[in-house]
Amino acid sequence: MGKATVIPFGPQHPVLPEPLHLDLVVQDEKVVEAIPQIGFVHRGLEKLVETRDYNQFLYVCERICGICAAGHSIGYAETIERLMGVEVPKRAEYLRVIWHELSRVHSHLLWLGLAADAFGFESLFMHAWRLRERVLDIFEKTTGGRVILSVVKVGGVHRDIDDSQMKEIIYVLDGIMDDYRKIMNTLLTDYSVKNRTVGVGTLSHEEALALSMVGPFARASNVNYDVRSLGNGAYGDLSDFQPILDAQGDCYARVKVRCLEVLQSIEIIKELAAKMPAGDISVTVKGSPAEGAEVCNVLEQPRGECYYYARGNGSKNLERMRIRTPTSQNIAGMVSALKGCDLADVNMVILTIDPCISCTER
Amino acid sequence: MAFQSEFINIAIADLSDCAANRKAEGARYVQTLAVNTEAGVDLIYTFMAGDKIDNYKIPAVSKDDVVPSISQDFLAAFVWENEIHDLFGITFEGIAIDFGGAFYDLAVKEPMTVISPAQLAAREKAAKIAAAKAAKEQAQAASAPANADAELEAKLAGMDPEKAAKVRAAMEAKAKKEAAAKAAEKDAEMEAKLAAMDPEKAAKVRAAMEAKAKKEAAAAAQQKEGE
Amino acid sequence: MSGFKLGGMTLGSVFKKPETTLYPFEQKVAPKGLRGHVAISPETCILCGICQKSCPCGAITVDKKARTWEIRRFSCVQCGACVRSCPKACLSMETAYTKPATGKSSHVVEVPDTKER
Repeated sequence: MGKATVIPFGPQHPVLPEPLHLDLVVQDEKVVEAIPQIGFVHRGLEKLVETRDYNQFLYVCERICGICAAGHSIGYAETIERLMGVEVPKRAEYLRVIWHELSRVHSHLLWLGLAADAFGFESLFMHAWRLRERVLDIFEKTTGGRVILSVVKVGGVHRDIDDSQMKEIIYVLDGIMDDYRKIMNTLLTDYSVKNRTVGVGTLSHEEALALSMVGPFARASNVNYDVRSLGNGAYGDLSDFQPILDAQGDCYARVKVRCLEVLQSIEIIKELAAKMPAGDISVTVKGSPAEGAEVCNVLEQPRGECYYYARGNGSKNLERMRIRTPTSQNIAGMVSALKGCDLADVNMVILTIDPCISCTER
Repeated sequence: MAFQSEFINIAIADLSDCAANRKAEGARYVQTLAVNTEAGVDLIYTFMAGDKIDNYKIPAVSKDDVVPSISQDFLAAFVWENEIHDLFGITFEGIAIDFGGAFYDLAVKEPMTVISPAQLAAREKAAKIAAAKAAKEQAQAASAPANADAELEAKLAGMDPEKAAKVRAAMEAKAKKEAAAKAAEKDAEMEAKLAAMDPEKAAKVRAAMEAKAKKEAAAAAQQKEGE
Repeated sequence: MSGFKLGGMTLGSVFKKPETTLYPFEQKVAPKGLRGHVAISPETCILCGICQKSCPCGAITVDKKARTWEIRRFSCVQCGACVRSCPKACLSMETAYTKPATGKSSHVVEVPDTKER
């Protein structure tokens, strides 16, 4: 029985995608305990509500995270619309969901590349990011920006997607599907990948419930919770939405859930594009939130459930805006999953949680 | 709405039981947040079961109060409790993984409770404007004619059209008389002032008044022709 | 053989057109509506200052006395809030990105006084 050594991991590390610090208590190559430390990208964005009014704060909210930018702008706009009792036109809701699902496709493709790179499969990383570039080109053509979209406003959206653009989007997505299926097949049936991921970092269903995990991380442990099933906005018009679940709870299951979610998102986009109603894309919002009014909202981001809370104080500035991001909820789960794994598997486990530390610390 | 949400007020003493009950029911713990207010810090704990989101609010917690930690029931809460301790200065007792104030390495202690001088000035100004508006509204409500007019209009609407027309004509005549009386009063005041003033200046003022009266008469004549 | 699952895709890449453009010899055509930088047509500007109030970054400064409109391009995040809020529609979003530079600079524009003829 060896002595326990403490190995510091991060915030700068070749395989670590996010600035997270872990103190790994290791005994003979097995991790006994992991103590997390965050706070390297804390920008204090929630305090900016004091100096930016509720329209300007939308642009601050978008920049909490580059990968989840579309999600945060949509979640914030929905929260303020609830606070002020604004009804958004149907077409705007559909457009928001289409951009959000495209954002989910791009986020999962990004993650797929990183996960492959974590155990050395660089060519798959390059292919996944090559396909992701096509999605970013769609964003550029329809919203004007590749990563930060700035297309959502309180009361609707700024830009419309006309029929020819919609046809082009579907054409690009169909073009991605062929190559994507090859990548997915490789990742899920290859012997070396299975060797690195099956049975690693297992969390059972009971543990997942006790640790209040969210997102694909939890759905891979058979926790049946996806905010999209609640039917907010245009998600309520989907004919049949079933969250993708897997009962194994190990790294392989998490990889599988995310791979299948990309296909599900593409199906959602096609369904909504066919059903899109005509009409306005925004309503004018005047006035300010009432004093003491408070409201909460949830949204399914690529990494899980994101909770928004807003309180007004009668002026154009909000009293408090709070964004609880999914990765911060999953930190407890990550710490539990790391117990008992090999030192070489640590970065694999961390990556399959899909951490987004920018979101966590705001 | 696709999900229902509710805000429920509870006290610090009820928190542990509330968390234990929700855990026994199998509800999901969502998050904990804090809001800085003048009276203290409001803590909001959120739980979710099915499609119902319950937000339990503990209003106005001060720096001296000790809040029991719920991380024994829900381990995921340790992130929020450490964050609230660092940013707002609330003491939690018994956090499962306690960083002791070193969760975020901050340059300013408890930054969310710090209100900068510019902010204070802006808030005082907003409070003054709100107070002035309230006072003005009170003064307006105190004056009766506004209410009386509304009542009269309602009565007229209910009456016989001919009678209503007669009543309206009578009201207009009364209003004209009152206006004429007021004008006469004003004229008398002006005369008194002029008598008191310098003769040259008085002559100038009179000339100006006559010009104004001519203009008004011409305008009235035009209006009558138009009718 | 259980390996070389990506063999087909890798071999195909030898013969297909590359996914990347040969920058700087080929430049990518900027799509219409790309948010590159903010431009002003000074003849229509009335120096009201609404763009300054709506900017979330404080990048625009309007000086009514000196009749100048100034934007700090390195503080601008190209959100488009000023373009949408201008009552005279004299601001527009052009597609060229601001070039990298070794120092931050401001772009100052003189607004001519159209009342003096």
